[in-house]
Amino acid sequence: MLSGLRLQRLPSAHPGIALGARVAAIFLALLLASIVLEISGAAPLELGIQVISATFGSTYGIEDLCLLLIPLLMTGLAVAVGQQIGAWNIGAEGQFYAGAFSATAIGLFVPGPEILILPLMFIAGAVGGMIWILVPTLARAYAGVNELITTLLLNFVAALMVYYVSTGPWRDRVGMSNSATPRVKAEIPEFWGLVHWGLPLGVLMAIGFALVLSYSKWGYEVRLSGSNPSAAKYAGIPVRRHIITVMLLSGMVAGIAGMFEIAGTVHRLQGGISNNFGYLGIMVAVLARNSCVGVIFSAALMALILNAGIILQTQGLTTSAVLAITGLILFLTAIGDELAHYRITRIKI
Amino acid sequence: MIDLRTLSRRGFLNMSAAGAAALALPAGLFRAGTASAATLPAVAEEDAVIGFGHVGPITDEGWTWSHHQGLLAVKEAFPKLKKVIEVENVPYSADATRTYRQFVSEGANMIFDTSSTGDFLHEVVKRAPEVAFMECDGHQVMDNLGWYYLAHWYPTYVIGVAAGHLSKTGKLGYVASFPVASVFCSTNAFLMGARSVNPAATLQTIAINSWFDPQAATQAGTALIDNGCDFLFGIMDEAGYLQVAEQRGVWAAMWNTDIRRYGPNSYVSSVIIDFKKFYVDQVGKRLAGTWSPSETLLQMGSGVDRDVWGAKVPADVAKAADAVRDKIVGGWSPFTGEIKDSTGTVRIAKDQKMTDTELYTWDWSVEGVSGLTS
Amino acid sequence: MNDTTPSLPLPPGTPPLVQLKGIAKYFPGVIANHDVDLDVMPGEIHALLGENGAGKSTLMNILTGIYRPNAGEIIIDGYAKEFASPLDAIAAGIGMVHQHFKLVQAFTVAENIHLGWDKTPKRASAQKLEARTAELAAKFNLQVRPGARINELSTGEQQRVEILRVLAREARVLILDEPTAVLTPAEARELFKALREFRNRGNAVIFISHKLDEVLEISDRITILRGGRKIATEQAADCNPRSLAKQMVGRDIVLADMRQRPVGAAPISKDPVLRLDTVSALGETGLSALHGVTLDVFAGEIIGIAGVAGNGQRELSQVLTGIRAPSSGQILIDGKPVAHANAAEFVEMGIGHIPEDRLHSGLAPALSVTVNAVMREYKKPPVTTAGLYRPGAATTLAKDIAEVADVAVPDFGMPIRNLSGGNQQRLVARREMRIASKVLVAAYPSRGLDVGAINTMLKYIVELRDAGAGIVLISEELEELLNLSDRIAVLYEGKIMGVIDNDKVDIDEIGLLMGGRQQTKEVA
Repeated sequence: MLSGLRLQRLPSAHPGIALGARVAAIFLALLLASIVLEISGAAPLELGIQVISATFGSTYGIEDLCLLLIPLLMTGLAVAVGQQIGAWNIGAEGQFYAGAFSATAIGLFVPGPEILILPLMFIAGAVGGMIWILVPTLARAYAGVNELITTLLLNFVAALMVYYVSTGPWRDRVGMSNSATPRVKAEIPEFWGLVHWGLPLGVLMAIGFALVLSYSKWGYEVRLSGSNPSAAKYAGIPVRRHIITVMLLSGMVAGIAGMFEIAGTVHRLQGGISNNFGYLGIMVAVLARNSCVGVIFSAALMALILNAGIILQTQGLTTSAVLAITGLILFLTAIGDELAHYRITRIKI
Repeated sequence: MIDLRTLSRRGFLNMSAAGAAALALPAGLFRAGTASAATLPAVAEEDAVIGFGHVGPITDEGWTWSHHQGLLAVKEAFPKLKKVIEVENVPYSADATRTYRQFVSEGANMIFDTSSTGDFLHEVVKRAPEVAFMECDGHQVMDNLGWYYLAHWYPTYVIGVAAGHLSKTGKLGYVASFPVASVFCSTNAFLMGARSVNPAATLQTIAINSWFDPQAATQAGTALIDNGCDFLFGIMDEAGYLQVAEQRGVWAAMWNTDIRRYGPNSYVSSVIIDFKKFYVDQVGKRLAGTWSPSETLLQMGSGVDRDVWGAKVPADVAKAADAVRDKIVGGWSPFTGEIKDSTGTVRIAKDQKMTDTELYTWDWSVEGVSGLTS
Repeated sequence: MNDTTPSLPLPPGTPPLVQLKGIAKYFPGVIANHDVDLDVMPGEIHALLGENGAGKSTLMNILTGIYRPNAGEIIIDGYAKEFASPLDAIAAGIGMVHQHFKLVQAFTVAENIHLGWDKTPKRASAQKLEARTAELAAKFNLQVRPGARINELSTGEQQRVEILRVLAREARVLILDEPTAVLTPAEARELFKALREFRNRGNAVIFISHKLDEVLEISDRITILRGGRKIATEQAADCNPRSLAKQMVGRDIVLADMRQRPVGAAPISKDPVLRLDTVSALGETGLSALHGVTLDVFAGEIIGIAGVAGNGQRELSQVLTGIRAPSSGQILIDGKPVAHANAAEFVEMGIGHIPEDRLHSGLAPALSVTVNAVMREYKKPPVTTAGLYRPGAATTLAKDIAEVADVAVPDFGMPIRNLSGGNQQRLVARREMRIASKVLVAAYPSRGLDVGAINTMLKYIVELRDAGAGIVLISEELEELLNLSDRIAVLYEGKIMGVIDNDKVDIDEIGLLMGGRQQTKEVA
């Protein structure tokens, strides 16, 4: 061996090192992307300035960022909440659809003043998300069926269901439009520019969950049950009940995300309503290492990356190039997170 | 992952209630200059930024490729333009809003949405009054938003006439995407053309719930041929069922562009589209300060047409079909009553001529078309 | 023992099979090994003796290529080697059988033997693999059933598979980590026989253990580690248990009768505080694990449960602590029958539990020391007041427990798995003692601990007994049971074979009962 340098894995990463690794990863990804862009004849520095000025230099940019952030924050939170009890909710996508579906049903078919309809839609979205995760939850709690598969499969069912109603029975007959329902009249009020109240609510939900988990007896029991179910049983904690509650809450948050997307951003139910937010939520939660508060930041990072992708496309980059850069950033961030667990030591030979 | 975004491809699909109101215009007023909005000020060519948002990739050999040819024509006609922005694969989602908003931040003076993204575009339209927007297959007009589309039903009727001559069994097949207005219109026009030759002809449709799914289109084509169909038509973005037709020795007609090389013996024709002139004209008006929001249906011969007949199409069939084409160009409409729907009810009374609005928003099948439910 | 073959006579100048020189390994804040030398000669069984945390496992992890040393060298057969991965160590003829077997439960013995082995034939049928396995088993004189699945095997059989797997890869040095901890005495004898045969072929065995007697029985030489440093290497023939224990812990240990009560200790109660009345229960697999067990636990006494592990001990401790509901029969606490088994209520009533597998069921290894320390009292003030969990109060409580347990915790927010096994066990014990006002069920409290830690643990138990709690002590160390228990119940295949008063104890009788023989005369 030529080198006396060795890698050593530590059981937990120092927060400062973890942050540093993440920043370094993003920097490295941007550097690599820049080199590729430079070679292919684009001007990476100009593009970078363009992205930053377009995102932060205008109200438009920040609004777009926030509008992307809302569903990412909520689906990321949904996955992170499920992880507290050790459940992988891959079905945030389906619950998002279910929430959007239920909220739209209320919005389209229940008459009444907006002040009444909006809370109803909210409840419907929450319940829709919960119903969508109910079967995987019960299967996991009572039969030990892995929720990965069940929640994933239900995504397809939900997507097809929404596609069916939005092109079939609920399609916009007035305007002959077939791919979306009529516009849902009740709208979440805007709280800043185009950004609706989903943003502060999402942040509050994330903080709320974090507080409840850290500062309540219930949160203690959930953390213990999620970390080691047999220790929780030993401590007399009703693990099964907590699995059910937490998974339902996870589905609820994803359902609420769907409701806000309908009532706050899109206003019509259509096949592509989820925009893959459910799957992106998994990534958000993983980047946040399943911390509820961390989800706020990783969702912001994800929103920034996705938004930058759109800006880069208007700068003439192809979709595939943008996807590659986005993927590179996420990939290197994940590696950086892992590397933060290592330290380099020098040994004498 | 199921990607349902493709559902919105070409955006036949998205209309708003307000859009319907705009459609309640009398037929014949479809040509430019209907709206009363004030024009936007002129822009110097070297300061102008033009944006195009597409539903698919420009390499699709079909719909998006055709619009891209239009963009190239614009660049050629106005070589000094400051910038032409082009984004492919704009999804039918809030990402469309973000994309078009970004166009505006880039300083776009005029934006073409080549597949109506409806509300997602309108969000931007409302907040960018200084920018001219044109939505392909849109239905709504605002102070700075107009729309354009193709009267594809006329060439389709002409191809239908050829099918009536060519089909021996009188059983025609159609590979459809979704039960949307353009598909109703396309199937109806096709069968009506065929029935003008062979009144016993029928049209069987299979909807594959996609605009681009070669495998499903191939399967649908095979099933239709197995059911006795000897002429396939459809509204697909690829050559799947043309290749099946070639293998099985039946006729096929296509959409968008000339793709006869995938089935040289089977190829009859295509509903061929061309936006070059329209785009150059629109951009010219915007630069000159004479643009105003318009509703435009490109007519047969100026934007949409049948393709050059296939190599194996007998000359007399081509001649007969082209005679019908000439008649239509001369002002005759084949879509004149009496027309019955698939349940036998008379929907268009005798001698009543369907308006372009009715054709554009057709949502029922004529007698003889099976497989589509409204 | 009839087999007393000494280690092979070696020609002078024979290099050691394994030579470790000046090995050092540092973890953040911990010196795991410092300047350790170790020579293992061909044809010897070399015991590695030391307390928990003495650095035995680290040293062996270095030798098997899992860790890289910060300093020092590894010399195999006279050549310096550097192991970049466990594969390098295997290639150099060093194999290890870990305390927790690394076998694939759903695979057959033959499949496990051939898994990840470069000599496994490319397309081989199950029959061929089994035939090869049978051949290997015959060659090394280790009885295994090649076609059986691992989950059908007893622990002893699984261990033989592990050993065979290592030997099949032509290991010349076999490292065994606490091999007898999971074996019955008969199985242990079988193992020793196989080890001696292996040694007699000119190979070496490194034998890690805490059990002084078996170390003296099996090994030729003994190396003692303490605090990460090597204390001495001795000829086994020159040692006795007392001298070894002294070197290991650095002080004299008294293993003595601990049944004497000091003045003021609580007397044994007249009525049982906890009673099982013909209780049966199902095990994890849904099969019957306890059959009509009747057992009284009196306050102020220690009742020992003897028996070979796996005869219903786990289920018994779970039933006694409310984790597992009986399928029939009754549990009575202070004479009152319990309607529904509920672990939380049992805790409320003052029943504590040191579980047999603390990392699996007594702790959440990934969570903080604080969270783990307050597991029994998190519902009550000061930790939870008005439904609010107060992390500050929890840490205060955790600090109290750690102080009584004499465990130095650098950071109460760090995962508890970062603590050593002995410290974890002390924290668990202290945590349970705080709430075990009525009964403490202690399952294998000394398993995996060194002599010093065992002593502390047993002192805790005696302390609690003197305070008036009833203790159920489940153990497989007969000596421990005899030293502590007032009565000893023997568990065999889910049945209580008999309850014997310690004063009238007859070790042969217990041995017979443990082996499933019926009690022949009334002893209790």
